[in-house]
This record gives sequence, structure tokens and C-alpha cells, in this order.
Amino acid sequence: MDFLDIRWDMIWNYRDLFIRGIGITLALTVIGYLGGFVLGLFVGMGKLSKKKWIYYPSKYYVDFFRGTPLLVQILLIHLALIPGIFGHSLGYFVSGVLALVLNSAAYNAEIIRAGIQSIEKGQMEAARSLGMTQNVAMRNIILPQAFRRMVPPLGNELIALLKDSSLVTVIAANDILYAGKVVAGAYARFWEPYITVAILYLCLTFIFGKIISYVEKRFSNSYVPTQRKKMFSTRR
Amino acid sequence: MIKVEGLYKSFGKLEVLKGIDYEVKEKEVICVIGPSGSGKSTFLRCINLLEDITAGNIYIDGVKVNDPKTDINGIRKDVGMVFQQFNLFPHMRVIDNITISPRKIRKMNSADAEKLAHELLKKVGLADKANSYPEQLSGGQMQRVAIARALAMQPKIMLFDEPTSALDPEMVKEVLDVMKQLAIEGMTMVVVTHEMGFAREMGDRVMFMDQGIIVEEGIPDQLFNKPKNERTKAFLSKVL
Repeated sequence: MDFLDIRWDMIWNYRDLFIRGIGITLALTVIGYLGGFVLGLFVGMGKLSKKKWIYYPSKYYVDFFRGTPLLVQILLIHLALIPGIFGHSLGYFVSGVLALVLNSAAYNAEIIRAGIQSIEKGQMEAARSLGMTQNVAMRNIILPQAFRRMVPPLGNELIALLKDSSLVTVIAANDILYAGKVVAGAYARFWEPYITVAILYLCLTFIFGKIISYVEKRFSNSYVPTQRKKMFSTRR
Repeated sequence: MIKVEGLYKSFGKLEVLKGIDYEVKEKEVICVIGPSGSGKSTFLRCINLLEDITAGNIYIDGVKVNDPKTDINGIRKDVGMVFQQFNLFPHMRVIDNITISPRKIRKMNSADAEKLAHELLKKVGLADKANSYPEQLSGGQMQRVAIARALAMQPKIMLFDEPTSALDPEMVKEVLDVMKQLAIEGMTMVVVTHEMGFAREMGDRVMFMDQGIIVEEGIPDQLFNKPKNERTKAFLSKVL
């Protein structure tokens, strides 16, 4: 049972690398997700557009980024796209964030599109019949309702992105997985570094999961704030 | 006030309206009756262009509604609509449901909009519900809020699309009473309804539609008591 002869000291020796890795992973995930959300909002609305010159680019965008592996996208962006535009690399972080933004935007776009489409047609009709323009109605009537329905799938996407951010390690990003690889390389042992990596990801997804379920609870089915609900509990 | 000329509407191959000509004068209450699928709701929805029309013209106050140059939002400000399914905004309190359009579209300030909303709520008998959410209201209350919401834009015309059809029987009256009050105050109204009592009592004219055309129209007494057309007679014999 050689593999049970665990040497945690080597993890401890590289603790700075792991801590830095956690920071990088979080930064990649959070920036990638927020950027992906904003871009996804536009692409998702684009997929609902009746104008063909908006609809088709949005559709092809989603088709491409959902239809190709993230790993390939990362390599394309880091080794081809960015050097192609700037003449040189801008570092793993820029490439990594860009890839995660573009990729998660495609998934978020689908979530956002589905959320908007799930709102009853009558809501838009009522808003329009009150003289609201399409934009005013979308911002004030449709999106606030749609966002509630999007919270659970958007949460899933956040967790998926957190884990997928480990792919950025192929372009030498100093994320959690990278720290594990360094330790593995230094000691030629694999059990300790990779179980550490796994546990760190597990902790992060656990924390994110808690945050998501808190948000989900806040945006539960009822629109009535909880305190008020008690006051009105004697509803007819 | 509303003039409809040769209105046709198709959904794909299905022809729903087959040539409607009609005119509604100011302060008139027009009730539209007919079997389901007769096109009466579609007719109503065409008036404020919730459906784009296939052929024909609609004028409101002399302005051609279906002209691409017409500002359709400008027209809709003056044409209130009440839906069968209420379509209140569930994420807003009653008061915000009513004030949002005056604030966002009429650029009314919040204080004035809220004052107006409270007046309207009083008018529909729901002064105490301003801070409730739609889900806390009964169907009849929701529909009365919907009426107040439409009135908040101070429309010249009100369209009602089967406003009581989704209500429990005991709540129909409270909504009809509000509508009667509006009619008495001189609002121009087009009401698609199955409430024959309301049509008979409040309608200046009643229109019977079937299979996409106006089969017969006239003052309620004539239409209900001396219908000329066989289809009208057959329909009335089933519903009266």
C-alpha cells in the first residue's frame, strides 16, 4: 500500500503556489463569468431578434462556441487569434479570460434566451398596449421576471465554468491545477498533488453552490417579500 | 373615433377576419359578441396593432394606425386595453403596475403618478390594495387593477378583450360594475364579451361576429329581440 504513504509536507512546501492558484482560478472564473453574462445577454437577445442580420450572427456565435471544445478555443485564441491581432502574446491571463468569456457567453445566451421566451406573451402585449416601447418593456417588465427563472441554470453555468477554467492550465496559467502539476513534476508523485487539486476545486464549488442557493431562495417563486407575506397570510 | 375599412387578417393560411368595415363614434360603447373562433378578439387586437393586419385600414382619430410612418406607441398611449388573463406585472406592487407607464412613457413624476394611481384605485374600489402584489389578489381584484392600469395612461378609447371570461362567477359583477361606471362617464369602449346582460344594458350598439365577418349589428334591443340573420338567431338561442 505504497500510495497510502502520504506526504502532505510537499503540498505545504508549495502552499504559496496553491494559494496563488486559487486566486487565479477565482479571477478567471469570476471575470469570465461576468463578461460571459453581459455578452450572453446581447447574444441571447440577438437570437430573439426578428432582424436577420442580428439573428444569424448570434445563432452562429452560439453554434460555434457550444459546438467546439473549450480546450481548442483556448489554444486558438492564445496561439493564433491574439498573436494574429497584436503580433505577440498578451499573456495567459488575457487569453484565458477571453476564452472563458466567449465560451460562457454562448451558454449564458441560451439560458437568457430561454428565460425570456418563458415569460408569457401577455406580459409583452400588456406592456406594449400601455404604450411602452419594446426596449422599455424588455427592461422593466420582461427581464426582471425572466432573471428569476434564469437563476438556477445560470448557477449551474457558474459551477461548470469554475471547473472548466482548469483547462486554461494548458497555456501555462498559474491556476490551481497548474500548482498541482508543478508539485507532481517536482516530486514525481501524483496522489497528493492531484487530490489536493480536487479538494480545492470541491471547496470552491461548494462555496459557489452555497451562494447560488442563497440567491435562488431570495428569488423564490413568490414575488411577495417574505415579511409582507406573513402580514397577508390571511389572503381570501 | 375608430374607423375600420376592409380589414383582413390571416394567420398563415387561416383567414380569421374577412373584410370588416366598422366605425365607432366618440363616447360609444360597442359590444362585440359571437362564438369562439369568430375573430372578435383578433378584431380587437388589430385596433391597437397587437396583430399586424393583412389588408385594410384602421384609423384612430383620423390617424392611419397601420401606416408604417405612424408612431404606434403614440397611438397605444391613447388606447387602453384590458385582457382576459389580466396580464398584470407579477413582480410589481399594484401601485407600481399602475404608475410604470405614466412614469416611463408620459414622463410623469413619481408623486403625480402615485396620486393618480391612488385615485384610480379608489375608483375601482381597491384603495387598500396599493401595496399588495398581484398574486395576493383575487381574479376580480386583479382585473380591476388592470382596468386602473390602463386608465392611468388617460386613454381616449378602452378595449376590453373578454374581461370577465377568466373570472369565477361571483367576481364578474365587480368588474362589470367598474366598466359600467366608465361607460357612464363617457369613455369610448369596445368590449368583446360573453356577458349578454352587459351588452344589452350598456352597449350603444352590439355587433355579432361569426367566421370572420360582422353578421349583424345594431342597437341592443333590435339585435337581441329582433335578430334578422339566422346565424344570429342560432347563436342567441344558445346563449340567452
